[in-house]
Amino acid sequence: MNRLSVGDKSAPSRLNRWVDPSFTDFPTESFSVPARKKGGQILNSKCEAKRSRKRKGDSCSDSLKSSLLKESTHRDQDEPWVDRYTPHSQAELAVHKKKIEEVENWLNVHTQSSQGGILLLTGPSGCGKTATVQVLCQERGLRVQEWTNPTNTDHYSNSQQDWRMMDFSSTSQLAQFQDFLLRANKYNCLRMMSDGGGSDRKLILVEDFPNQFYRQPGSLHDILRRFVKTSRCPLVFIVSDSLSGDSSSRLLFPREIQEELNLCSISFNPVAPTAMMKVLSRISAIEAGKSGGRRGVSDPAVLETLCSGSSGDIRSAINSLQFSSLTDSSLEQSLWKVKKDKAGTSVGKAASRTNRRKKSKQKEPEEEQAIGGKDASLFLFRALGKILHCKRESSEGSEPAKPEPVLPSHLSHHHRGSLQDDPELVVERSHMSGEFFNLYLHQNYLDFFSQLEDVERASEYLSDADLLTSDWTSRSTMGGYGSSVATRGLLHSNSQQVSVGFRPLHKPHWLQVHKKHRENSMAAQSLFRSFCLSPVSLQTHLLPYLAKLTNPMRNQAQIAFIQDVGQMSLKRGLTRLSLEALTDKELAQVESEEEEEKQEGGDQGAGDEALSASQPKPMSSQVEEEEVIIEEYNSD
Amino acid sequence: MQAFLKGATVQSTRPLKDKATAGVSTQKRAKAVPWVEKYRPKCVDEVAFQEEVVAVLKKSLEGADLPNLLFYGPPGTGKTSTILAAARELFGPELYRQRVLELNASDERGIQVVREKVKNFAQLTVAGSRPDGKPCPPFKIIILDEADSMTAPAQAALRRTMEKESRTTRFCLICNYISRIIEPLTSRCSKFRFKPLASQIHKKRLLEICEKENLKYTKESIAALVRVSEGDLRKAITFLQSAARLSVEKEITESCVIEIAGVIPPKMIDSLLQICFKGTFEKMEATVRNMVDKGYAATQILSQLHESIIESDLTDKQKSAITVKMAVVAKCLSDGADEYLQMLSLFSVIMQETSQNN
Amino acid sequence: MSLWVDKYRPTSLGKLDFHKEQAAQLKNLVQCGDFPHLLVYGPSGAGKKTRIMCLLRELYGAGVEKLRIEHQTIVAPSKKKIEINTIASNYHLEVNPSDAGNQDRVVIQELIKTVAQSQQIQSSTQREFKVVLLTEVDRLTKDAQHALRRTMEKYMSTCRLILCSTSTSKVIGPIRSRCLAIRVALPSTEEVCSVLTSVCKKEGLLLPPELAKQISEKSGCNLRKALLMCEACRVQQYPFSADQDVPETDWEVYVRETANAIVSQQSPQRLLEVRARLYELLTHCIPPDIIMKGLVTELLNNCDGQLKAEVAHMAAFYEHRLQLGNKAIYHLEAFVAKFMAMYKKFMEDGLDGMMF
Repeated sequence: MNRLSVGDKSAPSRLNRWVDPSFTDFPTESFSVPARKKGGQILNSKCEAKRSRKRKGDSCSDSLKSSLLKESTHRDQDEPWVDRYTPHSQAELAVHKKKIEEVENWLNVHTQSSQGGILLLTGPSGCGKTATVQVLCQERGLRVQEWTNPTNTDHYSNSQQDWRMMDFSSTSQLAQFQDFLLRANKYNCLRMMSDGGGSDRKLILVEDFPNQFYRQPGSLHDILRRFVKTSRCPLVFIVSDSLSGDSSSRLLFPREIQEELNLCSISFNPVAPTAMMKVLSRISAIEAGKSGGRRGVSDPAVLETLCSGSSGDIRSAINSLQFSSLTDSSLEQSLWKVKKDKAGTSVGKAASRTNRRKKSKQKEPEEEQAIGGKDASLFLFRALGKILHCKRESSEGSEPAKPEPVLPSHLSHHHRGSLQDDPELVVERSHMSGEFFNLYLHQNYLDFFSQLEDVERASEYLSDADLLTSDWTSRSTMGGYGSSVATRGLLHSNSQQVSVGFRPLHKPHWLQVHKKHRENSMAAQSLFRSFCLSPVSLQTHLLPYLAKLTNPMRNQAQIAFIQDVGQMSLKRGLTRLSLEALTDKELAQVESEEEEEKQEGGDQGAGDEALSASQPKPMSSQVEEEEVIIEEYNSD
Repeated sequence: MQAFLKGATVQSTRPLKDKATAGVSTQKRAKAVPWVEKYRPKCVDEVAFQEEVVAVLKKSLEGADLPNLLFYGPPGTGKTSTILAAARELFGPELYRQRVLELNASDERGIQVVREKVKNFAQLTVAGSRPDGKPCPPFKIIILDEADSMTAPAQAALRRTMEKESRTTRFCLICNYISRIIEPLTSRCSKFRFKPLASQIHKKRLLEICEKENLKYTKESIAALVRVSEGDLRKAITFLQSAARLSVEKEITESCVIEIAGVIPPKMIDSLLQICFKGTFEKMEATVRNMVDKGYAATQILSQLHESIIESDLTDKQKSAITVKMAVVAKCLSDGADEYLQMLSLFSVIMQETSQNN
Repeated sequence: MSLWVDKYRPTSLGKLDFHKEQAAQLKNLVQCGDFPHLLVYGPSGAGKKTRIMCLLRELYGAGVEKLRIEHQTIVAPSKKKIEINTIASNYHLEVNPSDAGNQDRVVIQELIKTVAQSQQIQSSTQREFKVVLLTEVDRLTKDAQHALRRTMEKYMSTCRLILCSTSTSKVIGPIRSRCLAIRVALPSTEEVCSVLTSVCKKEGLLLPPELAKQISEKSGCNLRKALLMCEACRVQQYPFSADQDVPETDWEVYVRETANAIVSQQSPQRLLEVRARLYELLTHCIPPDIIMKGLVTELLNNCDGQLKAEVAHMAAFYEHRLQLGNKAIYHLEAFVAKFMAMYKKFMEDGLDGMMF
């Protein structure tokens, strides 16, 4: 090591180590170090001194060069394919043409005029939002100036002595953000000059929001308002939708703000499987060519599973492609084999290899997830469907290798085929707490049952599940059991599946009803305090009768409240409740205030579909049809 | 209308005010002492009915020494009274305050208190004579009332203190259930069981008090008192005092006693059972509703019903089925379930059970 | 103009319309000077509160009728602020501690402490204690009840408690034994009738005895309800006729219709409709346990002897769950489903029986 560093300074790859010692080749050198320890140290320090003298100057460029060199040699191995194959033209983008066009149009409009605007891109992660912006900017020579959150460690290391003056709290981050925006906006021309006129226009990109904004979206809005007044260049925000449902785009950019700031919003969809397949096969072809036969073109079937496993996230798909082709292929093969075997035996099949292959195909998506890809989350719609439709393995299809244990005759009516899906897994992948999942199940399960006896059992299981999770001290442990009881109970009790195709699913009413109940009770308490009654007698006796009396009330609020709560419209039946349909793309939206507000507005319409209370005659067929209509009602 | 009402109120306030002031003066005169305190036995001999305990205690008092004590037994059998009386005899009225520390469940009694309060008190040394020169035992007494409600760690902490201070301090633990005292503590004490008072003794005591307080009473009312208090003398005396307050200068009647105790008249229970045995569901439902409307507590119905079921001439199988249901109902009630529905369910079980046989 | 219920509320122990013997006893209690803690219990609408107010008036004179609503903020040891409303006069303070939810223990301790520590200045004319009236004691947490026990003893010299509750089942033993328990039963049908008649007379109306009887029966002898009903009758039609329809509350009618819907058809679709109706009731502030009781009463009317016992069991079972569980709808619906299944089976068996 010492010898090298002193004697052969020109070797750039070694030199590099001075700047950035790497651990990789340390062990080989370590033998020589103890032998010449003393001399080495002296020499070392000499070099160090030398280096420090000209640190500012050429050393920097040296190291830069060297690192570049090094990278060029290592590139093939280390650089993530995602970076290597970043799209450079529109054609390479795996985004839908229409979307690209939309963004392009916006860019065209807003870069031509001197007046900048704000664009908000949303969509699930890895659907190519950033790539689209980058490509489009590149094409029209826009310089992209991106905001990155300053980290606190910078403050510590750089300015430890004057940390007192630097207020590195979140507010300073906020101030810095504001600073950045205004400066990037203002000093447009100046920078351009120094750049030599290569790009005369630029675009500000914000992907990373200071944390403060999540806590107080208002501060962001203030900054934006200021920005809009003086803006000269386009500003693009990119917000990824998170799976958990608390959509940050909605928090950061509520609708009023979008309107106020004339903010244009484009939402991206997950990458379509065909587009993704194209990209993946292109990459694997290139890689195969590069490796010179060492690595074959990946099996299209493998690509397909990767594709489906990534659920529209192209970044993760490419990552897992790289991962799956990186590992030693022989090992890989055996890994696959084991898996296939497992898949085979789990069904109880001991047949030929081809047969096994066939069988495993069906199981593959689940297996592949273990290798890479994100854990395929289920859309709530699908997850609910899996439980409610209650798909079972048909027992005729495969002759059982060993006789299954048979229930005694008196319990034989409890016999069920084995399930296709593991209910616990379904709940887990729905990204919801068991309790909420149960609410969704409860809202929808009745449509999928035909026998009243089954319903009776199912409802009892749901009641059990609620009981299990009722105590908050043990809820964390019992929650899992609760959801198991509910899902498995529903699956078990659904003895005669209604073979229906599509049924609309709905969001649970309970949350809304419960909230309303609480609000009304509180309101009743505060409005009618002067009667000095306990809540129960107030709500069940006084209010309903006050509604019947011509007693002049003291204020308007009381009158309105009595009319609202004290009276029940017997004729119209349902007034407040309209079913909110769940679309298949929808993620779990737990308690979005906005949704409920919307519903309040449109509630009058749903009145007609209600069962009319005055004639409690069966009209089951009608009701079903009407529910479809209800979905449309909601949209207005 | 308002004026009319106002007039009425003005008229009625006058005499009321007078009465109120009169009330104050009477109150001042008889600075109320609960009778339970007033008629607490002054010496060990006065303690009623617990002959064995008294005999042992007297013996150790003669020797002017006490072991560590553990009194247990149902409430109102004189546990606290006994130790207080013994302490009084040992120390006399003046020293009594200095030498006795009484802690009951209402006081905070976490482990911290045991460590500090009890320890500090236990560490005081005391002389072997009274100020007036008479000899008295050179130790102090710490009374831990309702010791079964102490937490286990607090009890464990006590164990060490008990041993260390055994030279100068005696402990007296008082509890209802000995099973809730940790083993190491029980083994350090001599245990005394207090048995429920026999009804004659009970009656005798109540009659004594009645005489001293100049109460008018009937034989039945005293009998009722004895019955509802179930061997708990404190309860009986408290009820007696309440009854006396409610019916000033009038006779204390049996119904009054029953009312105060919140006990359901036995006749009602009987008739309810008869309806269950013979009647229809509708009749039973009406009766249950009536019971609930009357304001009787379901738990009270349950406990009284329990007795009559046990004593009734049903088969063992029927009894056991009914009592199982009773246990379930009791649990539900304690969870806050609706009384009417629970009672309905219970009585329909009784009905089913009894009608099956017939 | 106020409601009849408030307008004709008796204001002194002597004027109470029923349980006169008890009223006399209470009067004795006030006069003998030594006033214990009280536990007043009885079903809703039996006049507990009225009785307590009369008692307070007997104790302190007309001053207790000058009520003011106060809004108090209490800071819990955990620095959490609890807001609670109290109704107070110069002599007493009324609190519904269950308003504070789980923090009721702190509320009780703090309130009683402040009341007990602010001594009356001119004690020559007044009692030397103030009264704290706690309503809905049965809804207190166990924690708060235990705390109450100690507080009761500690401030006995300056403060008396009157506890008001619908049942003593949920009040712990130590509190019961420290209080003088006073049971207030519902008035009998005749008593309700006489109260109604006298109120109508004061209003200058003529109430036919048949109607009075009908009202009192329909109200379940709940006097508050009966008076409200009577007033609603007056609005509906005057002069009264003997066979007039007594107006029921909307929710009661709604519950009955729901019960009819359950009985008329048993199918998953019907259950869905029933669920919608249950939701409707809940949004109208009807507590789930009241809904359950209403349904049970209606359903019991609709089925036969053997079935009744079963319904009673189920009702007890699911009502218990209602109290324990989190989300009422699960249990209400499970009850309805259970009933439907049972009723359907019963009817089918009955049909089979007819066939053979």
